[in-house]
Amino acid sequence: MTRRETTLLGVRHAVLVMISLVMLTPFYWVLKTSLTGENIYAYPPSLLPVRPHLFNYVDVWYLIPFPRYLLNSVIVSAIAVSGNVVLNAIAGYALTLPFPGRRAMIVLLLSCTLIPFQATIIPAYLITAHLGLLNSYLGLALPLMSTIVCIFIFKASFEAVPRSLIDAARIDGLGDVRILLRVLLPLSTSAIATNVVLAFIWSWNNFLWPLIITRDADMQTLPLGLARFLSYMEDTTGALYAFVVMVLAPGLLVFLMAQSSFMRGLTAGATKG
Amino acid sequence: MNVRRTRQAALVACFLTPSLLIFLLYRILPLAWNVVLSFQAWSPLHPPTWVGWDNYDEMLNDDDVFWQALWNTLIFMGSQAIGAALALGIALLVNSDLKGASVYRTIVFLSYPLMTVAVAIIWRWMYNERGGLIDYVLRQLGIIHQPIAFLDSFSWALGSTIVANTWQVLGFFMIVLLTGLQNIPPHLYEAARVDGAPGWARFLRITLPMLRPSLFLCAVIGILNSFAAFDLVYVMTNGGPGHATELLITYIYKQAFGETRFDYAAALTVAQFMLLMALAWLAHRAAGGNAGAIE
Repeated sequence: MTRRETTLLGVRHAVLVMISLVMLTPFYWVLKTSLTGENIYAYPPSLLPVRPHLFNYVDVWYLIPFPRYLLNSVIVSAIAVSGNVVLNAIAGYALTLPFPGRRAMIVLLLSCTLIPFQATIIPAYLITAHLGLLNSYLGLALPLMSTIVCIFIFKASFEAVPRSLIDAARIDGLGDVRILLRVLLPLSTSAIATNVVLAFIWSWNNFLWPLIITRDADMQTLPLGLARFLSYMEDTTGALYAFVVMVLAPGLLVFLMAQSSFMRGLTAGATKG
Repeated sequence: MNVRRTRQAALVACFLTPSLLIFLLYRILPLAWNVVLSFQAWSPLHPPTWVGWDNYDEMLNDDDVFWQALWNTLIFMGSQAIGAALALGIALLVNSDLKGASVYRTIVFLSYPLMTVAVAIIWRWMYNERGGLIDYVLRQLGIIHQPIAFLDSFSWALGSTIVANTWQVLGFFMIVLLTGLQNIPPHLYEAARVDGAPGWARFLRITLPMLRPSLFLCAVIGILNSFAAFDLVYVMTNGGPGHATELLITYIYKQAFGETRFDYAAALTVAQFMLLMALAWLAHRAAGGNAGAIE
């Protein structure tokens, strides 16, 4: 390596380290605040937590019904994730079969991706009210139970399975349902994983929809609980930031464990559209 | 053979129906219903009546907040271009066989999958004039002498929400552009190098044109983000101070679920959706006309 190349490489790393620090700072600042044992409003703010302890994390359990919010979030996410994997897998399989109007169907689905959910909230609320699903777990999960991007991820994954394998299964007398269950799905674990992670993150983070259709405090999910806590306490207590850390931790863990398939899945779905 | 074909058609129908039903109920039908509602006077207890263009007339001629929200939404969309440009810079830096590139990539991407409500609370705290880091750093550096309450300030609030939004979506833009960069055949660069083209020429003549589909995708995502920014703005400022950070989507929410004016909010939704379609079409044209093509 020439000297010029070495310098360039050094500059590149320096720039990237700076960017990384800027990106990580908000995480650090909220973690620091959640651990600070003293008045969080002291000026100048210290860069390290003063007398660090976990009081704020204990406070969260007393100040708000944290387990209730958590339970609601888990139930809604479980319904949304399982619905997603089953419905998207069978719809993705149907799209690999020849049928009249297949191309029109694909165009219809792709154009649906251009309708943002936020643009549908008013009629969606009225429809859910007509179905009698306001303020219910099913009502919370229903709009999230199938996702077009993930249908196409399944379709692409099924199409990558060698044709000869499917033909052999057919000659052995397997029907379409068994081909899907015994041949295609076992070969599509990465599509399944991507769908699970995406559906989990979407439903876990969803705020606007639960904000509109939940009435009782008992039905609120974690994001609503966070917003409610903020409106009670404003920014006055470290417990708010402990709550933030507790809410973010599971999502971050899921992401870090599945990050490669997550990123690949996002772009696979996105660049195919 | 015919029996098998009929059975397969039945199976296709069975497999597609559940997903289609969900999209029909929560995408297509609402879109159409919005248009219908926007021409009606709606109230919870009476049957709706037709009022023609009244809602649109009010929106365009008598509602200053609508124009402010529209303007803010356009600024918000425009700011996505800055995010995409930053992301392109980072993508160019972490592309290729740089050691530790995947660590940088993960760090930049880390904020994208976070719960936006939590992101909003984190940034409210960053902007706090006593406990926040931003005021502290700016004062230490001597850039400002009095603390600024960024989120309560008419001139700073919108920019502050844009910074928070950029922080969150930067990583996603980066991944989209990185995928685009990796799809550029390397022999194009080899050929340019043999011809003696300097670095910036290679960037302008090869990288940018070849990235067009990815840039188009970034544009569409950026336009859609102006809808998705609801969570962030609702929690950070709730459209305030005054209506300084009011976006169309937060205004739609307030009109519909605060004032129970579903009819008027539907007209606002139709307006925002038309804007979105028009801009997506423009981006499509700018990208060369076939960027969104299937397959």
